[in-house]
Parts: sequence; structure tokens; C-alpha cells
Amino acid sequence: MSRHTEPNRDAELLQGTLDMLILKICALEPIHGYGIVQRLQQISKEALHIRQGSLYPALYRLENKGWLKAEWNKTEGGREAKYYRLTPAGRKQLEEEKAGWSRLCEAIALVLNAAE
Amino acid sequence: MKREERMDAEMRFHLESLIREYVRQGMTLEAAAQRARSEFGPVELAKDECRDESAFQWAEHLWRDLRLASRSLRKSLGFAAAAVLTLALGIGANTAIFSAVYAVLLKPLPYVHPEQLYTVDISISKLPELGRLTGRIQDYIAWRKSATLFSGVAGMSPGYFNLTGSGEPERVGGALVTSDFFTVLGVPPAHGRTFVPDEDKPGQSNVIVISDGLWRRRFAADPDIVGKTVVVDGRSQRIIGVTPPSFLVPTGKISYLPFAERIDLWKPRAPTDAELQNENWNEGLLLRLKAGVAAEAGRQQLEAILNSKAPPNAPPGLRFVPRLIPIRDVYASRVRLRLVLLLGASGLLLLIACTNTASLFLARIASRATEFATRMALGAGRARVMVHMLAESFLLALAGCGLGLLLAAAGIRVLMASAPTDVGLLRQAGLNLPVLLFAIAASLSTGLASGFFPAWRACRKDAALVLQEGARAALGGLRATRARQVLVGLEMALGTALLASAALLLHSFVKVMNADRGYVVDNVLTVDLALSGESYAKPQQQLAFYRELTDRLRALPGVSAAGGITLIPATGVADFQVVLLDGNTEQDILRKNLPIAGYWEVTPGYFAASGTTLLAGRYFQQQDAVTTAVISESLAKRLWPAESLTHIIGHQFRQGDPVHSPLVTIVGIVADIRPGAIDRDLRPQIYRPFLPPRVDTDMSVLVRTAQAPAVLTGAIRQEIRKLDPNVPIPAIRTMREIVSAAVAERRFQMQLTALFALLALLLGAIGIYGVVSYAVACRTRDIGLRMALGASEQDILGSVLANGLRPVLFGLAAGLCAAIGAAHVLRSLLYGIAPGDPVALAGVAGLLLVTAALACYLPARRASRLEPAAALRHE
Repeated sequence: MSRHTEPNRDAELLQGTLDMLILKICALEPIHGYGIVQRLQQISKEALHIRQGSLYPALYRLENKGWLKAEWNKTEGGREAKYYRLTPAGRKQLEEEKAGWSRLCEAIALVLNAAE
Repeated sequence: MKREERMDAEMRFHLESLIREYVRQGMTLEAAAQRARSEFGPVELAKDECRDESAFQWAEHLWRDLRLASRSLRKSLGFAAAAVLTLALGIGANTAIFSAVYAVLLKPLPYVHPEQLYTVDISISKLPELGRLTGRIQDYIAWRKSATLFSGVAGMSPGYFNLTGSGEPERVGGALVTSDFFTVLGVPPAHGRTFVPDEDKPGQSNVIVISDGLWRRRFAADPDIVGKTVVVDGRSQRIIGVTPPSFLVPTGKISYLPFAERIDLWKPRAPTDAELQNENWNEGLLLRLKAGVAAEAGRQQLEAILNSKAPPNAPPGLRFVPRLIPIRDVYASRVRLRLVLLLGASGLLLLIACTNTASLFLARIASRATEFATRMALGAGRARVMVHMLAESFLLALAGCGLGLLLAAAGIRVLMASAPTDVGLLRQAGLNLPVLLFAIAASLSTGLASGFFPAWRACRKDAALVLQEGARAALGGLRATRARQVLVGLEMALGTALLASAALLLHSFVKVMNADRGYVVDNVLTVDLALSGESYAKPQQQLAFYRELTDRLRALPGVSAAGGITLIPATGVADFQVVLLDGNTEQDILRKNLPIAGYWEVTPGYFAASGTTLLAGRYFQQQDAVTTAVISESLAKRLWPAESLTHIIGHQFRQGDPVHSPLVTIVGIVADIRPGAIDRDLRPQIYRPFLPPRVDTDMSVLVRTAQAPAVLTGAIRQEIRKLDPNVPIPAIRTMREIVSAAVAERRFQMQLTALFALLALLLGAIGIYGVVSYAVACRTRDIGLRMALGASEQDILGSVLANGLRPVLFGLAAGLCAAIGAAHVLRSLLYGIAPGDPVALAGVAGLLLVTAALACYLPARRASRLEPAAALRHE
């Protein structure tokens, strides 16, 4: 059964890619969950949409794997928020995932071009 | 719940930020909140998923599931009680048996490096009839000198001693041991010392070591016991040491050596020069292999030494072949197969219990199908739902384990009471750590196994289907019913196999008890006497005592006969000798495969007292010379196969030595007698008159009575006392008691297997009853409909019975096939019946069918009495 049945969305995230995107966004600066969603939509020019609640299990998972580290800090508006930042292990993972992604894209491109 | 709060705060922050953003874009607060919630998705779901991702969360889940499970179990106490009781029976039986298996087969023996200790038996290549012999004192001497692969050799032979002096004269079991006996075993004494090398020389050997038991019993645990003297067999002996309470030595019958059931006294073995001239195969030998030496290498060295000097006149090719036997086998070999089979039987019982519990679970889960389907529809993963269900079986398993341990503790006590007394290691069975671990492992694995299958099935169901069709579809679901029927069939098959094994053992036991042993078992009293001291130094004095005693006993009112024999045949044969005909030479012993016979010396009254069947000639009479003999039928037929029994009377033979032993004339032929346990090997038998020089200090006296023998024990005791107050009088036993003790191992196994089989039958009946009742409950509406359409009570009864009994029949058939297979494993334990014994198997089939029919009948009758109108409204 499908858990995020959100119709009228442009693209559903490929399984596994959400983790990579989160790592990428956290690599820029420590950021809270809401910020990650904003950044994701902003960078992808509103093309990528996720059910925002499903971001959190991914964050917990990455934190458990030791790729993200979380801290409670004050926001600019003076509210308490949980900020995530990349650990060295997370940076290594990100590099690996980026490399894997490029290989996958190249491979797909090869297939598509060959077919034409 | 700190983490829960933080998770909540994090998500609230997200939602509030979203709302604030939408309000900033111009939405009303209400619209913004709604939009935010829809963008975020269900908060609880997100939280649930986060919890799944958290480390250590599984432990928390488990705890929550366990609490939930215990709450839901408390709500269905009937189910919980049935499941716990079923598991506890299985666990209890298995734990009790495992404690015995552990004590006898697994627990390290209380010696230094027990794995290096061996005993030995020897066969002679050209004399297969001799069987396996223990050693000779000469072997001990030779091996101690030249067996370089061994770090120690010790000899031991059975001894019985009269303790007199302070207190009641007492006859104690003991052993004659070489001086290095204790050092080879590596067991230091609890008090004093053990023997030193010179103490096994004649003249030096007036020292003894006593057991902890004797020290406490007879000497009231006297702390100054070491150095005191006691009178043993009429001679003063100094106590030099006391063994520790845990000291373990061979007891009971080892090969042909009749050790006492309890060893209380050790005396140094001091063979005289005359004794060393004779070769007597009556020395038990203990060897300790050097560290790192292979047993086979050691064995070959012993063989080389044994055969280095050929016996005089031996034909070429005669060899002594020794066999090294690990010391554990001395204690365990006789009961190993029985114990392993018992463990198998209790394992089957556990499987049945497991099946029963699984069946209970299936019913329970079927009735909660909607609940589980709902949970899965709401997004709970299958694993989560299964863990939730398994939590219940985990709790039940724990409770089953607890109750099972209580049952096991009681069971072990019963086990001890009915266990054969000469298996010393059994007495050490108890609830120790390894046994506890076994119980816990067994309960968890059975509990979880019985819960897993139903839980897995429940989760496989299409949730949507269950929700659509409602609970009723799930309850009466064809597949669920089929699964439970398969379980019932399985349970029946296992139960049948177990019951059939029990029936075969029971039938064998009945055959053994009723078998003709060649002597009378009822109304015979026996007492083992031994004379000691100066007044019995001469054979004539020994003879006079026993003559006088048997005459007096015969004169007692109610006594029809009295006589003596050197060893009660029911307990075995003490000595064997080769039987020669006139003209046979020394060479013939090895070349012609001459018969080897067990022999006893008897007083004239013995045959009448024991009721030995006379086939030809006559019993001994008072005036018979020492050169007469009564032989058994098998020996007569072996020696003179062509002649009739009456014709054989008057024939002559020799015993043992072709030159020096006199020719003996046969005066009578009696039936072969069989030892009490009956299945031990049977040899031809010779009886000789108890006359000088064939007299001995030890004799078993038999008294045949007209009525119940117990009333005479006092009078017999009094007669012995009157004749000599210094003769120790051990317990006066009936022949039935002796036979009964001899079959103790058989009875032990038969009773336990029967107990397990009956429990299996009970569990099976409960299982069938549960399944059929459940099926009736699910089909109430159908039954109502059929009745409304005109079906009679008989129709309903018949259909419910048929449905209930179908899996039983399948199980019964499968189980009978399995039982015939199992019987081949049991074969060596059966007596007088074939593995496919029709009486036992038919009995089992009948018993099972009646029980199953009864278990089906009760719910079937309930179904047939339903009120159609009420049944139709049933939901």
C-alpha cells in the first residue's frame, strides 16, 4: 500500500534519493527540518515535492547511521529548533552517493541515446 | 518520555512555521492550518515512522508489546491457562528427563581429567563363548611394569565385608583395590590418607579406607576416626582415611563382577603367591592414558603385552583382544539408549504441546483477525504486527517455563524414586544451571515456534478482504480450519508414535514379568549371609553352620523347604568354567569350542526351596558326594545332543581342568533358569553339592513358605541370631523383590514412556475438542440453516463427527507407520514381541480412536441440540 498518496505532484522522489538530497542540503550549513523542505523546493524550483512529515523518519535514520548530528538551537525568530549538520562520515557518504548517482545517470543516458 | 517530547516539539515547530508562512501569504489562520496539515501528512504516522527508525526503539516496542500482551492475556484467562498448562507439561517432562541425561551422560565425572580414564575388557579370539572378560591380577602387574603409554593402572574387585565390634554386626559392600587405586582416579581423601604402595603386600594390608556414608552412618561422623580400628571379617583393621561425599566408584554389576549397590569400604588387594599362580578373570582394571596419547595406540600396546607370552598349549592364532572403555561407559552404557529414547519421547511430547498451543493461537488470532487487519490497513508493517503477536507467545512461554520447572522439580523426585538403584549417576540429577538453561531455551523456542506460524498466517491475509467480509469470514475461513485440521493430524501422528512405543514397552514388560524363569518367584524369602572370624576358618565349620541353619528353618511352622546357594540365580552367575568330557585334553579347550557353564554350589534343600523344575533324575540328597552334579537342560543337550534326558543321568564330565579336576556324575537334569532381568545372556548351568572342598563362607539362604512370606522374616532372623549373634543379617527379601529390582531399568523406561504417552493422549484429546468446538461455533448459522431445511439431529451429529475425525484418521495412519519405524530403534529393548506387535498396535489404535471420538462427540452433540431459530440469528 502506498503511504504518501499525494496526487497532482510533479515528481515523486525516487526511493533513496531523498536521503542524498538531505545530506546535500545539510552539507551547506546546519539546518532544521522545515528549512530543509524550503530549501529543497527552492533549489528544485518547486518541482520536487514530498509529504513533509516523511522527511522526519529519513532524518532520524540518517542521524542513527551517524551521518547527521542534531543540536537544539535558537532560530533567528528566537524559537527553539532542531538543527542538523553533516558529520565527516556523512560527507563521505554524500560523495559516494553523488558518484553513484552520476554513474546511474550516465548509464541511463547511454541506454536512452542508444535506443534513439 | 523525553525523546517523545522532543519529537513532538520538532514537528510542531515545522507545522507552525508552515502555518506562519501561509498566513504571511494571506491565508486565514484556519485555511493555513488545514493546508499545513495536508502538506505535512498525518503527524502520528510520521512519529510512528520516526520511532521505527530510532535506535533502541525495538526494546521500547517490545516492552510496550509485552505490556499489551499481558493485558490482553489477562482478559482471556481460559486461553492463557490452557496454553501455559500445555507448555508446562511439555517443558516439565523434558526438563526432568534432561536433568537425568545431563547427570548420566554429560556432566563431567568427579575425577582429575576423567577423559583419560578407561576400564578394559578382554575377549579371546578362539573362545567367543567366553564373551568379554575383565582382567586378571597378572595383567595389572604386567601393565604396570610395561604399559608406557599409560600413567597409571589400578585393579579393583568386588568385596563384601562383615563389620563387627561396636554396634549391630553389619555386612557392607566394598572393594579390594590395588594401592594406587585412589591416585589413578586422582581423588584425595576427605580425611586421613589413602593407600601407600607397600600396603598391597600380604601382611601389610590391615588398613582400610571407608566411605563418607559409612563414616556418618556407623561412626556418627567421628572427627577422630582416622587411626581407629574396627573388626572386619573377624580381623582388626585400622581406618586410615575417609573418602569425600562425592566420591564415585563403579557399583552394581560391571561385566561379570558383582559389585555391591553401595561401596562403603576399600581394602588393599594383597594377592598371595598361591593366588598369583592361578589365572582368575576377576580383576576390574582401571587405566589412565598419558595426556595426548590416542586411545587406539594405548589399546595396541596393551594387546602387545597381553599376547607377548602365549598361554601353554595354545593353538596358533589364539589372541587376547583388549578393548578400552571410557570410564563414563561404566556408569552410563547400560542406560544410555534408554535415556536417549526417553529424551526422544519427551521431545515428542513437547512437539505435541507445541502443536496444541499453535492450534490454540490459531483460534485466538482468527477471532482477532479484524483487529489485526485494521492495524495493517492503518499502516503497521507486518513485522510490527507479528512482533505484537509473538509478545503474547513469549509471555506464555515464560509462564510455561516457570510452571514447567515446578513440574520438573517434582518429576525429578519421582524419577529418583523409581530409577534403577545401581545407576549411581542418576542420583545426582537435579535442577542445576545447565538444566535451567535447557528449560529456558526449550520454553522460549517452543513458545515462539507455536506462536510464529499462526502469527505469520494471520499477517498474510489480505487485510482489505478481511475488513470487507467481516469477522465471520475470517473466523470460519476455510484455510484457517484446514490449518487447524493439519495441526490435529500432526498431533495425532506424534501421539500415536509415542503411545505405540509405550504399548510395545508395556507389552514387553508384561512378557518379562510373566516369563518362566525356571524357578518360583512367589512365596520365597532370601537372605544373604556371610561367616567370618576364627570360628568359621575351617570348611567343616562353615558347612555345619549352613546345615544347622537350613534344618532349623525347615522346621519353622509355615515353611515347606529351605536351602542355600552360593549366589541367588536371579541376580546372576558368579563363576564360569569350561566343561570337559572324559578324554578331552587341554588343547581341546581352545580347539573344540567346548561349552562354558555357570556354576553354583547348593545344599540339598535348595531345589525344593527355589522350585527349580526337575526334568530328569533327581535333586541332590543328603548322602550325595561332592563329585555329583545336577545340570541344566541346555548343557545336557549340548554335551549329548543325540541322547534322551533320562539316558544322560549317570554320565560324567569334568569342570575346568582336564587333568586335576575329578570326574563328576550327573544325578539330575533341571530346567535352565534365567536371571531376573531375563534378557541378559543365558549360559548352560551346573549345580554342585555344597560340600568340602566346595564350601564357602558366603551363602544365600532360600526359604519357601506356604503363605504370604512376610510374616516369617522375624522368625528367620531369630533363628540366625540364636545360631550365631555375630552374623550380620542384611534385609530379608522376597524373590519377587529381587526380580523386580532386576527389571528396574525396564520398568523405569516403560513407566516414563507410558506417562508421556498418556499426557500426549490427553493433550491430543484437548486439541481435538478445541478444534471441533471451534468449528461448531463458527458454523452455528450453517447448522441452524441445515436444521431449518430438515436435517435431523443424527445428520448434524454425523457430519460434525466425520469432520472432526477425518484428520484423526490421517494422523493415526501416519503415526502407526512412524511407530513401526520407531519400534526398530526400540528393538533391543523389546522382549518376546515383534516390533509390529499386533496386540500393542491394535490397542493403541483403539484407545486413540475412542478418545478422539469422545473428544469430538461432546461438541457434536452440542451442535445437534441447537435450536434452529436461535442458531440462525447467531452472529
